[in-house]
Amino acid sequence: MRGRTLWVICLMTLFVSVSLGTAFAGSKGKVRLAYVEWDCATATTNVARAVLEERLGYDVETLPVAAAAMWAATASGDVDGMLAGWLPVTHASYFKRFKKDVEDLGPLVTGAKIGLVVPTYVTINSIAELGAHADAFSGRIIGIDPGAGIMAKTEDAIDAYDIRGMELMEGSGATMTAALADAIKHKKWVVVTGWAPHWKFGRWDLKFLEDPQGIFGASEDIHTIVRKGLHKDKPEVYRFLDNFKWTRKQMETVMAWDQEPGADRYANAKRFVKENPDLVDSWLQ
Amino acid sequence: MHIPRIPLGDGIESILDFLVEHFSFATKSFSVVTEKGLSWLESGMKFLPPWLFIVLVAGLVWYLSKRNRGLTIFTIAGLLLIWNLGLWSATVSTIALVVVATCIAILIGVPLGIGAALSHVMYRITMPILDFMQTMPAFVYLIPAIPFFGLGKVSAIFSTVIFSMPPAIRLTCLGIKQVPMELNECAEAFGSSRWQKLVKLQLPLATPTIMAGINQTVMLALSMVVIASMIGAKGLGGEVWKAIQRLQPGRGFEAGLGIVIVAIILDRVLQKIGGSSTSS
Repeated sequence: MRGRTLWVICLMTLFVSVSLGTAFAGSKGKVRLAYVEWDCATATTNVARAVLEERLGYDVETLPVAAAAMWAATASGDVDGMLAGWLPVTHASYFKRFKKDVEDLGPLVTGAKIGLVVPTYVTINSIAELGAHADAFSGRIIGIDPGAGIMAKTEDAIDAYDIRGMELMEGSGATMTAALADAIKHKKWVVVTGWAPHWKFGRWDLKFLEDPQGIFGASEDIHTIVRKGLHKDKPEVYRFLDNFKWTRKQMETVMAWDQEPGADRYANAKRFVKENPDLVDSWLQ
Repeated sequence: MHIPRIPLGDGIESILDFLVEHFSFATKSFSVVTEKGLSWLESGMKFLPPWLFIVLVAGLVWYLSKRNRGLTIFTIAGLLLIWNLGLWSATVSTIALVVVATCIAILIGVPLGIGAALSHVMYRITMPILDFMQTMPAFVYLIPAIPFFGLGKVSAIFSTVIFSMPPAIRLTCLGIKQVPMELNECAEAFGSSRWQKLVKLQLPLATPTIMAGINQTVMLALSMVVIASMIGAKGLGGEVWKAIQRLQPGRGFEAGLGIVIVAIILDRVLQKIGGSSTSS
């Protein structure tokens, strides 16, 4: 009995000493960023991480979580920020709830788009025509997480365009793309709640249905949201996140690299930072 | 007759806000300590080269399973497959998470089970709470846990413990209650104190049942890893979740297989320990 206890203590000491050695590599401090595993958010967050690590010398931890968790963690100050706040529509409910606990640093990419998406072989072009073809779509609009703003907007659209005989199915981003993939494989008609930039547009030929009544709004922006008090604790990080802004084209470049088989997303982000020194310098003014 | 709607949800939200306001500093500091311990464990495990780790685990399985050759071979083959699929560090982090969560669940659960077996009042209080813990969907307390334990592994451990602790409590309680009356009376007749009776008679006899409970706890902890990855637990669950979101069923299946392999190894080893252990 005594021998065994001694062994355990020895092992524990070994663990602790080994890990102490690995844990304290020199760095300016830690920055935690939450994101959701959407391709746009992954690309953006990795580029921010690359700048913070390579150019500013911070140690960055990126946490892939669910959208609600990302907002809740930023509001409670558990993470320093996030680069995936879809406003004004998609994340409206989260923003309303946590508005007083977070700081909105404005858009990092403008001109994202949300709406109803169909494969290009579907012969209708407007949401107004959906009702007349309800049967061709098996009476379903394939949706995503019930909390997303795009779902509420879709319900509004069903009322506004008086789409009879179609119901909005709740699910998640993953079930939506899976249903889309399956329908395209069998050349079936399908309509989903969609947003761009998103990898589905790279993989299949898709189009947004026109929205003559403008229910889904003109366009979405992706915002950088940080916790309250970041500008006091880490002014340098705050300034960078505040300046960080790129175009959809630049973002889609990185997203395309990420789609290559066996891609290492962080390596791609580092490559982007290396290839665009002037842009990065402008973020670090 | 008009009965107004009971504002249950609002009440719970204001209780939560109050708790966050006044107690989150305590849970936060607990969180920091746990996080540190966990990351030490993890980096310690990752510090070993995979082949050495596999050899060590295989040796441990060989010893614990009383030289069961088939299980040892399965362990080596399974871990080599995980390594080959490039899931090594995810697996190590999942093992660390499950081990820590299970340890906490056992440290709380077994004493509670003993208490519930020995005291009727405690039994009456504990059982309905256990029903809650086992059936309340994890998603309900996943997000509210963030202000208390932060994003990441500690929140994951918290929800895993809640979900996986009940069998440890229930089966500990059951095992002690199943000790035959005659033996209890016998021990009392020879003048043993309550403590002696517990340690020398009831616990040894209840050990197989308690081990079955611990086994269940480990399995339930493993079944939580994908849900826990929604709040940043990473590991194998995170790999599954990433694959699901990117619509890569093959990759999801690989990571799922990794979870299965870890589960089988832990399950068989624990069964071997529990099945043949008598009072030592």
